[in-house]
Amino acid sequence: MSSNVVWMVARREIKTRMLTKSTIISMAVMLVVIVAGIFVLDYFATRDAHAPASKVGVAQSVSALEEHLEVAAAQQGLDLELVALADDADAEEALTAEGDDALEAVLSGDPASPEMLVAEQPDDAIQQAVSTAVRSYVVNEQVTGLGGNPAAFEEALASAVPQVRSIEPEDSPDRFGPAYVVSMVMISLLLFALIGSGSIIAMGVVEEKTSRVVEILLATIKPTQLLAGKILGIGIFGMFQVVLLGGAAVGGVAATGLTRSLEVDLGASLALLVLWFLIGYAIFALLFGGFAALVSRQEEIGSVTTPLMFLLFVPYYLTMFMVPSDPDSTMVRVLSQIPVFAPFMMPVRNAFGALSGWELGLSLAISLATIPLLVWIAARVYQRGVLHTGGRMKLGDALKAGRS
Amino acid sequence: MSTLEIDHVSKSYGTLRALDDLTFDVRAGEIFGFVGSNGAGKTTAMRIMLGVLAADSGSVRWNGTELDLEARRSVGYMPEERGLYPKMKVGEQLEFLAGLHGMSPTQARDAVVRWTDRLGVGGRRGDHVEKLSLGNQQRVQLAAALVHNPAVLVLDEPFSGLDPVAVDVMSAVLRERAAAGVPVIFSSHQLDLVERLCDRVGIVRSGQMVALGTIDELRTTDRPQWLLDVGAEPSGVLARLAEVPGVTARVAPGRPHAVLATAAPGTPPEVGQQVLRESLAVGPVHEFTPVRPCLADLFRGVVSAEHDAEPTAVAPAFAEVAR
Repeated sequence: MSSNVVWMVARREIKTRMLTKSTIISMAVMLVVIVAGIFVLDYFATRDAHAPASKVGVAQSVSALEEHLEVAAAQQGLDLELVALADDADAEEALTAEGDDALEAVLSGDPASPEMLVAEQPDDAIQQAVSTAVRSYVVNEQVTGLGGNPAAFEEALASAVPQVRSIEPEDSPDRFGPAYVVSMVMISLLLFALIGSGSIIAMGVVEEKTSRVVEILLATIKPTQLLAGKILGIGIFGMFQVVLLGGAAVGGVAATGLTRSLEVDLGASLALLVLWFLIGYAIFALLFGGFAALVSRQEEIGSVTTPLMFLLFVPYYLTMFMVPSDPDSTMVRVLSQIPVFAPFMMPVRNAFGALSGWELGLSLAISLATIPLLVWIAARVYQRGVLHTGGRMKLGDALKAGRS
Repeated sequence: MSTLEIDHVSKSYGTLRALDDLTFDVRAGEIFGFVGSNGAGKTTAMRIMLGVLAADSGSVRWNGTELDLEARRSVGYMPEERGLYPKMKVGEQLEFLAGLHGMSPTQARDAVVRWTDRLGVGGRRGDHVEKLSLGNQQRVQLAAALVHNPAVLVLDEPFSGLDPVAVDVMSAVLRERAAAGVPVIFSSHQLDLVERLCDRVGIVRSGQMVALGTIDELRTTDRPQWLLDVGAEPSGVLARLAEVPGVTARVAPGRPHAVLATAAPGTPPEVGQQVLRESLAVGPVHEFTPVRPCLADLFRGVVSAEHDAEPTAVAPAFAEVAR
């Protein structure tokens, strides 16, 4: 019977939040923004990838450089398109032509010291490629003149580089690579989801106090049942939003193929995010719900939610600054076992591959063990505070034994 | 029988003793009026009955067993501070509350239609509560207390803010519930209503029950009074009545031609007839009325006896002579 009552309270929360015009409109707007944002992002990403190649005109007199230019451009990662020109072609006209036909530079004269004609400023990358090509051409000429084998010479030259060896394990990922981006997006989502649902719970508790409906509710059901139903209902509503918006984001990304360059297991990351959202939600929902009962008016909500916001922002920023720089430091390892830090630190440490299984297991166990304690504290504060009207109730008074 | 018993209940807020060993019962089929000045402890007592507050000591029993959470689900409660979800539709809200009291969704829907129609807010079921006038919100609040067909009714000031039509509907509902064997307790400052409706009345002062009984019992005093309008000079009547043993007489306040005679405690009831005979000897008697205190007089007496050593002493009444 009691679980039935909790479910009835939860269902009312879901229904009244889900079916209001403002909720439906804001959800629709967010959906459109997310999907449109992904398509816009994809447009810019693909446009960069298909940027037209730089065109360089090569006069017949310097055609010997072509082969070297291609090698140099490839080494630099420069997309270079060579256009063969007759010696008497009008170079100036080719440089100032409209649209995609315009050449970036025209090479002519002596291949060992060619003239590079440009419209205004020479492009650095092209200039470098040309310099390399010319140097390579001259070296080839000299080696051939001395009776050597240019191919063997180049091969020897290519291998004449230091062999760099790092003491760090080779698979340690890039600090600001895809793992960083994905994990930051994840903990930011987590932060906003927790702040959003925490605020809704706090406002719901105070709304029941201000409208005094709490008295007829508490004549029928226990304060703990009311609080549990509220947390459950708003949690389901929050998860629905996360799944809907997150699903739209994942769907959009999959449709556009934006993730092709990301070497991150998105599915596993999402599963971990959902797990830590649930644990973080349980922790913070209890705190927000219990503490909101201390005040009687909407204007006073800030005085109880502000400290809780700090409790959310501090782990978030510490995670952002400490974990990527050294995901395995003692400080991080210790902090990530503390329940309010764990939901933020654990997913990021996991994304950086710096998490051993036992650490994840231990932090889950610690967090889960904390929840009953928080249930006890929240229920106690809530029971004492929820019928208290007038000014703000002190936390100490609420925690003292007995019911008022 | 389903009797609601309040047994030696005490409750303090810090140094303020809100309820001091309060004891009374409300029997099945009885309408009990709970009367007292502001801050006397009525609301605290009702909140304790509903388990919204915990008593420091004492207990509330129904059918001989502690009124626990399960039993409270069958109580209809109207709190002093009205409260409903402002942004929820009337119908949905009442169905939700009926559900919390254990009704199935279909039962709840039927009951909501029945009660909102009866209380005259049937046309507003689809509106948000905050859109209704205060009087109509009050009717919805009553529907919330009645919708689950409660086995006990505890109503804190159910008549305040109601128009005369709604007062009549509410009175009829209370009588009907009581007739069905439900103990009904309500508090009110509208003493004429209490007098008309209630089988028994309890007057509470400073958290203690200072007067308890049927209206008739309470109005019976140990110092009977009679009002006499005699066709003669009042001084002559006064002189004549001074001869009657155990009777003191004076000019009635506010009526210079009438005389008020008061018998001392312990005087036999026949003394009234003697007073009448003596008066007839002076002149024609146009009016001879036994003066009994009405509830308002009792109430004033009780409240003004704030520091009396004997709390049940009801001050003699003479203000209301109309009856």
